[in-house]
Amino acid sequence: MIAPRHGLMLLAPLALVLTGFFLLPVLMMLPTSFREYAPGTGIAPGVWTLENYTRIVTDDYYREVIWRTLGLGLFVTLACLLLGYPLAFLIARGPERWRVPLILLVIFPMMLNLVVRSFGWIALLSNRGLVNNLLIQLGLIATPLKLMFNLTGLMIGLTHIYLPFMVLMLVAAIRNVPRDVEAAAGTLGSSRLHVFAAVTLPLSAPGILAGSILVFVLTISALVTPRMLGGPTYKVMATLIYDEYMQLLDWPSGSALSFALTAMAIGVIWLSSRLTKRWAGMA
Amino acid sequence: MRHKFCFATATATAILCAGFSLSAQAEELVVGSFGGSFADNVKACHVAAFEKATGATVSLKLGNSSQFAAAIRATAGKPDMDIVYIDNSLAAQTQGEKLNEIIDRKKLKNAGDVIASAWGKDDAYVVAMVSATALVYNPKLVKTPPTSWLDLADPAYTGKYAIGDISGTSGLHYLLALNKLKGGTLENIDPGIEAIKPIAKGSAVLYTQADQLLSLFEREEIAIAPWYPDRAGVAIDKGLSLAVAYPKEGAVGILPAVIIPKGTAKSELAHKFLDQILSAEGQGCFSERAYIGAVNTKVKLSDKLQKIVPNGESLEKAWFVDPEIVAKNSANWTRRWQREVAR
Repeated sequence: MIAPRHGLMLLAPLALVLTGFFLLPVLMMLPTSFREYAPGTGIAPGVWTLENYTRIVTDDYYREVIWRTLGLGLFVTLACLLLGYPLAFLIARGPERWRVPLILLVIFPMMLNLVVRSFGWIALLSNRGLVNNLLIQLGLIATPLKLMFNLTGLMIGLTHIYLPFMVLMLVAAIRNVPRDVEAAAGTLGSSRLHVFAAVTLPLSAPGILAGSILVFVLTISALVTPRMLGGPTYKVMATLIYDEYMQLLDWPSGSALSFALTAMAIGVIWLSSRLTKRWAGMA
Repeated sequence: MRHKFCFATATATAILCAGFSLSAQAEELVVGSFGGSFADNVKACHVAAFEKATGATVSLKLGNSSQFAAAIRATAGKPDMDIVYIDNSLAAQTQGEKLNEIIDRKKLKNAGDVIASAWGKDDAYVVAMVSATALVYNPKLVKTPPTSWLDLADPAYTGKYAIGDISGTSGLHYLLALNKLKGGTLENIDPGIEAIKPIAKGSAVLYTQADQLLSLFEREEIAIAPWYPDRAGVAIDKGLSLAVAYPKEGAVGILPAVIIPKGTAKSELAHKFLDQILSAEGQGCFSERAYIGAVNTKVKLSDKLQKIVPNGESLEKAWFVDPEIVAKNSANWTRRWQREVAR
């Protein structure tokens, strides 16, 4: 057992880096979010306002973008979980000699730059992209399907990009489930399906939770893929914040939106970890 | 073995020393420039001659106007760029935030040859070239050249045109042009918003990068678009079937400007670079390569250029929107666009 004093010392390097390079810069942005921005002359000196925050709640465009972002996060997380769990199960419980090649296949896409992968999806999903051309030539559709600049495009792109995170988390969790417990349930007359539902699944809950949180947070804060596959019409919070900062130059509004996004992420993580703990009987 | 090691160390030291002495000798000027063919032309017309004349080296930092404005604000007083190409409305924005160094005309040999209207308020920036948002079309698909901004709404072009998102100059300009045409003013753009809604809905894509249109024109996905004559000219040179039409209501002028961010330690060198930009050679070279109008009165456009670049009647008819009004309103216009047009 590590004594608390030593634990603190082990934590210190990371804590210092996080404080210096993450927490402090973020906190330095906090005052900006209460300033007033005047287009043409910049941030008005000495004026403080809550408007940047109240606008997020009162403006129905911002509300729409917030709901869209949260919905996207939820859908992508679910899709990653549904696609990732069987794969992770195969990697953890399948034949030993498949393990390394399968894990390599899972991580391989992560070796490619995000921009390149998103461009790949543009080549596939655009109006004259591979998918639409194929469907048109097969005579299945007459006009191209809208696969980009909407929820479909972002779902496909983001699920592909974040699936590895989910799978890697799940593999570790499933491997940690003691086989003895499963065997015991089997001996006591449980069917294989029931063993999975009543033993394996709840015992891999920490992995499901960790993977889901990771994918959810990465999705709602993703910028590059939504910019490329969502375009100027399908905005999520990250692209909206980018626009407020870089295009409108309205830093106060951009900072306020950033803090709102952070608060939402923390809220969702807190809520989901409570729910999962209750379900898995860890509470 | 020992000898080999000594040799390797000696070589490494020599290379390091050479590196250091090089960087100590040549002063480096950081220039903010737009990317793509613009950067190539900056290198060919402005950088090469400047490096030869001064012995300094130039490093280009690529970006768009609003990114540069954001960077200049973020580094206020300690800029990481010494001289920046930037749209005149954003030059007016950074001037409004008091982030521009006042340009000293006395330090510029060529200042006298530059048209008076190129100089920004208090000489905080200077317009370096003249272009426009006009209509660009594919003559293979469009038999009668378009004459009006409203031609895009012609049913013949349904699904075969693209307009720019408001984040790009052409998107904003097309909105303002439609607005003026429908009786709106810069204080009230309701008519423009109403008019552009159906056009934006039918647009093949709301393009965010100018060169996005290249592949759309090439694959004949679109036949016509509000675009830039300079980009079209370069594309025509590369073999694309394109032509430029100036709408009878007038094109909307684009004035890429140059600013020297306040606080640069290399103000002298930046002025020399600016002098090269404004010189007759620099301007003429850039005009020929980039299909862009010059601000130096000594530059004469070739016949090939006169068909594409705003000049004569097309220049007289062009509408140059007050950059300060654009700077003050573009945030609100963009918010309305996001909510009412692109939603």
